[in-house]
Amino acid sequence: MLVPPATSWRAAMLGGQQPSQHGQRLGDRAVLKQGAAKRKDRVFVWGFCYSGALGVPSFVKPDVGWKKPRRIQPTPYRLETEEKISSAACGYGFTLLSSNTADITKVWGMGLNKDSQLGFQRSIRDRTKGYEYVLEPSPIPLPLEKPQETRVLQVSCGRAHSLILTDSEGVFTMGNNSYGQCGRKVVEDETYSESHLIHQLKEFDSRVVQVVCGQDHSLFRTKKGAVYACGWGADGQTGLGHYDITSVPTKLRGDIAGVNIIQVSSYGDCCLAVSDEGDVFGWGNSEYLQLASVTETTQVNVPRHLPFKIGKIKEAACGGTGNIVLTEEGNVFVWGYGILGKGPNLIETAVPKMIPPSLFGWSDFNPDIRVAHVRCGLSQFAAITNRGELFVWGKNLRGCLGTGRMEDQYFPWRVTVPGEVVDVACGVDHMVSMVKSFT
Amino acid sequence: MSNGFLVFCVSVLGIGHGNKLLTDLYNCHLTKVYTVGGLLGKATDDFSDTGKLVEKTTFDHITREKLERILAVIQGTNHKALLMHSNIDMKTQEAYELAVKGLIRPMGKSPPIITAIRCLQFALPEFQLEVHCLHETQQYLRKIVHEIGLELKSSAVCTQVRRIRDGVFTLDDALLRTQWNLQSIQNAIWDCQLKVKTELEKTLGHQDKIHLHKMDVEMAHAADS
Repeated sequence: MLVPPATSWRAAMLGGQQPSQHGQRLGDRAVLKQGAAKRKDRVFVWGFCYSGALGVPSFVKPDVGWKKPRRIQPTPYRLETEEKISSAACGYGFTLLSSNTADITKVWGMGLNKDSQLGFQRSIRDRTKGYEYVLEPSPIPLPLEKPQETRVLQVSCGRAHSLILTDSEGVFTMGNNSYGQCGRKVVEDETYSESHLIHQLKEFDSRVVQVVCGQDHSLFRTKKGAVYACGWGADGQTGLGHYDITSVPTKLRGDIAGVNIIQVSSYGDCCLAVSDEGDVFGWGNSEYLQLASVTETTQVNVPRHLPFKIGKIKEAACGGTGNIVLTEEGNVFVWGYGILGKGPNLIETAVPKMIPPSLFGWSDFNPDIRVAHVRCGLSQFAAITNRGELFVWGKNLRGCLGTGRMEDQYFPWRVTVPGEVVDVACGVDHMVSMVKSFT
Repeated sequence: MSNGFLVFCVSVLGIGHGNKLLTDLYNCHLTKVYTVGGLLGKATDDFSDTGKLVEKTTFDHITREKLERILAVIQGTNHKALLMHSNIDMKTQEAYELAVKGLIRPMGKSPPIITAIRCLQFALPEFQLEVHCLHETQQYLRKIVHEIGLELKSSAVCTQVRRIRDGVFTLDDALLRTQWNLQSIQNAIWDCQLKVKTELEKTLGHQDKIHLHKMDVEMAHAADS
């Protein structure tokens, strides 16, 4: 029986390129080589290619005649970027990348642009027209008052709209506004494609420190610990006590009134918020048991405290049908519906279930390993350990897990990335990660 | 161990009925543990410090932290290989249960796999690693040292490979040359009985309970004789 060749971990490090073979005989004279110094910041992408969301034009339009277009990139692929990327967000078929730079260009977008979620991308062939699909990271010009001073801190993407958070000029919104998700009045029969309109939001109780896009709604968290929302509300996802649309960011009350919220999350129609005391609150869709621990109603339009007895919560993430939290102790809990990460037998639960730490590499041999961050896409989960390892699980829609296999993954599985993973953004069918090279 | 490469190690011997046990233990595909010595700054043709010099490199930029990052990658990639070569259907609840317990491992032929690796000592230009592996060869362990050197943007050779554990048997169970007499050997067999039985039960138990009963009888005989 043929034994397959030994695992080439170095091939994994080089992201698919072949490592140079040993055996470069240099004769009797030995050559003195200098070692390198600084670690480099890198971006890796994987998942569905045809939307252009991965930012690699040759996947969609091969630059060499005989090559075929690549529909799916199943493993992490390095994306060359001009600047160091500090924030990334995956929308439904598009991506935003931003840098904390003082340079004029601070945000780049790629992928679907039919609703101008990437701003107006002027076509080269016809300067009056804009691109519907953007195949490579393209600058998004922002109407900044102080373009050489203001910094972009964070970006977020939903189904067809985007939010860009700055340090001193508030939040900029772009894309579809049919439900007021961009925080401005809904204009009847507005055409969103090839639109130049970028709206600016500044009226909050204090500086906005986090922006989150749900499917068709937007959440804003301020320095004072308040949460504002606007957009589609049929599932109660705006948390404002009604089920209508809202076109002006409005402060949420309910169980989070007066509470210092330090993190919010959403991606579908369910929302979670974490307080400074380690409590978690939820509102929005509960058709998949996301909030069943406190109510039987499937739409919750006011923030409710979820009295889980699992320890203080540090971070939460919401997907389409499943939720995940990370506790102060470093434990990971999941609940909701779908592939939750505890094997095929667990498809739904209203109460959080812990994913054993051994699945993230913890063992007697490695007792210091902890999960540092948890993230959610529409139907997949991701966890990053304190060693910079990335684990994924859930539905492998169009290769979005990055495992190199096309099967769904029922428990946490390592993604081989040539570097230390610093953060990851999950979308519907693609993912983007920010990585520091090893040496 | 060949090539005149000095290796002090744990070697497991079977006597009489014990030979059958050796086969069973082999079928458990348990890991062996080695301490591996490395020396930064040069590369040789056979990856050992006695080989023909190919290249010399600087190594001042190397820190223990950098080395440990590389070790984390090696461990991660190999962990994946471990799961993939185990031939278990990943979509089953059984696969999940085994993964949680860390019991997924190849039960047939597979390429060398490192199940765990860590840095025991680091003092430029030398370092010492502890390596847990399956189906390894000495050449493979030396090559790992060489590749670590390359990945650190330098070069390294292997100075020592020492097996300190073979499955359930550790250095503590090993008999020194001076103890190669009947009484010591008998005591050693007796001491190891329980360990061997437990391991076989844990790994092969779900496969063949009848076989294990026969083994109980055999072990009792071995102790008496």
